[in-house]
Formats: sequence, C-alpha cells, structure tokens
Amino acid sequence: MSEHHHPSPVSPVERRVAAIEALLVEKGLITSDVVDAVIETYEHDVGPLRGARVVARAWVDGDYRARLLADGTRAVGELGLGGAEGEHLVVLENSPEVHNVVVCTLCSCYPWPVLGLPPRWYKSFAYRSRAVREPRAVLAEMGTTVPDDVEVRVWDSSAEVRYMVLPLRPAGTEGLAEDELVPLVTRDHMIGTAR
Amino acid sequence: MGGMHGFGPVEREADEPVFHEWWEAHAAALSLVTSFAGLRASGIRQAIESLDPATYLASSYYERWARSLEDALVGAGTLTAAEIDDRAATVAVGPTASEDTNPGMVGLVHAVLDSPCATSGVPVDGRFAVGDRVTVRRMAPAAHHRCPRYVRGVTGVVARAGTGWPHPGSDEPEAVYTVRFAMRDLWGHDAEAGHLYLDLWERYLT
Repeated sequence: MSEHHHPSPVSPVERRVAAIEALLVEKGLITSDVVDAVIETYEHDVGPLRGARVVARAWVDGDYRARLLADGTRAVGELGLGGAEGEHLVVLENSPEVHNVVVCTLCSCYPWPVLGLPPRWYKSFAYRSRAVREPRAVLAEMGTTVPDDVEVRVWDSSAEVRYMVLPLRPAGTEGLAEDELVPLVTRDHMIGTAR
Repeated sequence: MGGMHGFGPVEREADEPVFHEWWEAHAAALSLVTSFAGLRASGIRQAIESLDPATYLASSYYERWARSLEDALVGAGTLTAAEIDDRAATVAVGPTASEDTNPGMVGLVHAVLDSPCATSGVPVDGRFAVGDRVTVRRMAPAAHHRCPRYVRGVTGVVARAGTGWPHPGSDEPEAVYTVRFAMRDLWGHDAEAGHLYLDLWERYLT
C-alpha cells in the first residue's frame, strides 16, 4: 500500500498474477511489450486531463458543447479521444437547477477515454452502495454541499452507456482562454462528486 | 451492491497512483490483452460478477480482476488450475519480460484503448417511448445480467429510448431505456430528494 514506505509482503494473488503472466509468455500466447503498452497507456496517456480538455472546449465553444451533448463519443473523437469504455459516452450537463453525479453499482463502469482508470474510492463498496441511496450525504462528506433547491440526479452506469458530467463554468472565468480553463477541471467535477 | 448499508464513509487517498502495486497493473493489462488475443472463456465484467459472493466481497478491486482472469483462462482451456498452482509456488514474483515482441498487437492496443471510435448501439424500436411509465420486473436471474436488485418492482419514467445493444449472452440488439426513478420510490418516504437514472434492457421492464 502506498502509505507504507516498505514493500508489502508477497501476497497469494501477487504470486498467481506472476505465475499466469510467466505461463502465458512461455507458451508464446502473449508478449510483454503488449502488456507494457496497456499499462503505459493508463499510467501516462489516458487520464482525467483528457476530460478536462473536453470540458474546457465545451465552455468556450457553444457549437462544440451542443455536439458533445448530442453524441459524446463522436464529439470527443473530434479531439482525438476515444476507445474502450467510451463507445457510447453520454455527457450530462450541470445547470444552476441540476447537479449530476455518476456511480456504477454493479462493477465500476467508468468512461476510461476521458477520465482514465477509476480511483479506489469510486470502486469502493462504500461509494457504490451509498451514492444511489444518499447522494447528498455522500457529496457532503466529500466536501460538496448541494443546495436544497438544486435537483440531484444520480446516474447508475451499469449497462452500455458511460457517463461524464459537464460541470458549470466557474464564475469569474469569462476572461480565461481554453488552455487556462483546463487546470480548473478536476476528475471529481466530471464524476459529479464536486460541483 | 446499490443501497446496501454498513460500508462506512467513502475513504479517499491524496495523490493516488493509477496502480498501487505492480501486480494490479499486470492483472488489469493481462485481462485486456487476453481479451484481445481471444484466450478467455468470458468477458471481464461477466467473469468478475461470476465470482462467488464471499470471494467478491473479501477481495480488492484488482484481486477481483486477477481471480476472474484466472477463471476465464482456465475456463477456456488456455491454462489449467494445476499449472497455475504449481507455478505460483516457485515463481519469481514480478513481471515477466519476453524476448519476442508483437508490434501488431501493440498497435491494436492503441487503436482499441486510445483512438476515436464509432458510437455504439443501433437504432431499435422498442415497446416503450419517452414518457412512458415502466415497472422493473421482480426476478432473480441466475445468468449474468445488468439489472440491479434495488430497482426491481419499482416504477419509473422512460427518459431516453431508441437505442439497443445485445443483452449479455445474446447477439441480437434489444432496446435499452434510460429510466428515471424518484428517490422516494426507491428508498421510501424519508429518502433524499432527487432522481436516479438507470439504463435497463427491455426484458427487465413491464
């Protein structure tokens, strides 16, 4: 675990993953460059910065925003983005009256091409069990109190659609350019656990 | 899992890495690579949800990937449980580097994971239209499905319709509806205000 400064003891699952990989390589069924390519994709290339670029573009370009809300997969493709777990992306627009928040109660479905792989808390039993039943309480614990006059909409993305939230553009950012808006957008904004 | 009690607060970690341990990264990557290479008996989600419930709840996220990877490889006859057991007893713990490379498969990885793609789903005329009231069937299917327990028997309103995908285990597209439920209808009179949206195949609805 990352909070420890010494290596964890070898666990049974670690041994089994090592054994499976060794066997698959020895049998010539896989090569390690392909395994490394997958890992590097998610460690270095595909992450929430991708989604932040999409949001910033939508904030500055009304036509792009309309295309993004009409067909998320096609619109992120315009920016060169897409792939597994993003084949049917639906973008949910926050407004002064509506706040959207995304969860997957069945596994941990998540829009990989725009947000990367999900953080541990998103995959936790606590988030998955509670976000559908008491989203306001969960958001408040995470530091976001949604006003009573704002409708909370929870999206349980358990089937084929993957959801991403288009947050409200912060007040006072009217003078900022697209590139300056990108760092204002966090993963939590795009999951909906921040507003 | 939706609605269950007792899991406590949502614990967050500052500056969380994408993977915490080498084997987590490799369990995830091997799951995807064995899918691309056709070495598995079942897909990743299906295999994870087929774990026995006690194992599922006692395992971390990537432990579930690792266990389901093993199940899917053994199920397809790609590896046997006995050879994995034997190897696990003696293996040098860590990644295995191969001398061979497969540039074509690396290209496929980038094409599948990190390239613009077509929007999935096909137009399907289903039985229900936007605005219709629908009730989720009471059922207890043994086979893999995508209908959470907490909505069964509950009535909602169709918010989006017109697109279909094959249900797990089928090849034929079937209408999938986004259904809007009032939180009160799901959780009772003292529920929070607001609504829940869930995508449901037509077979789950009446």
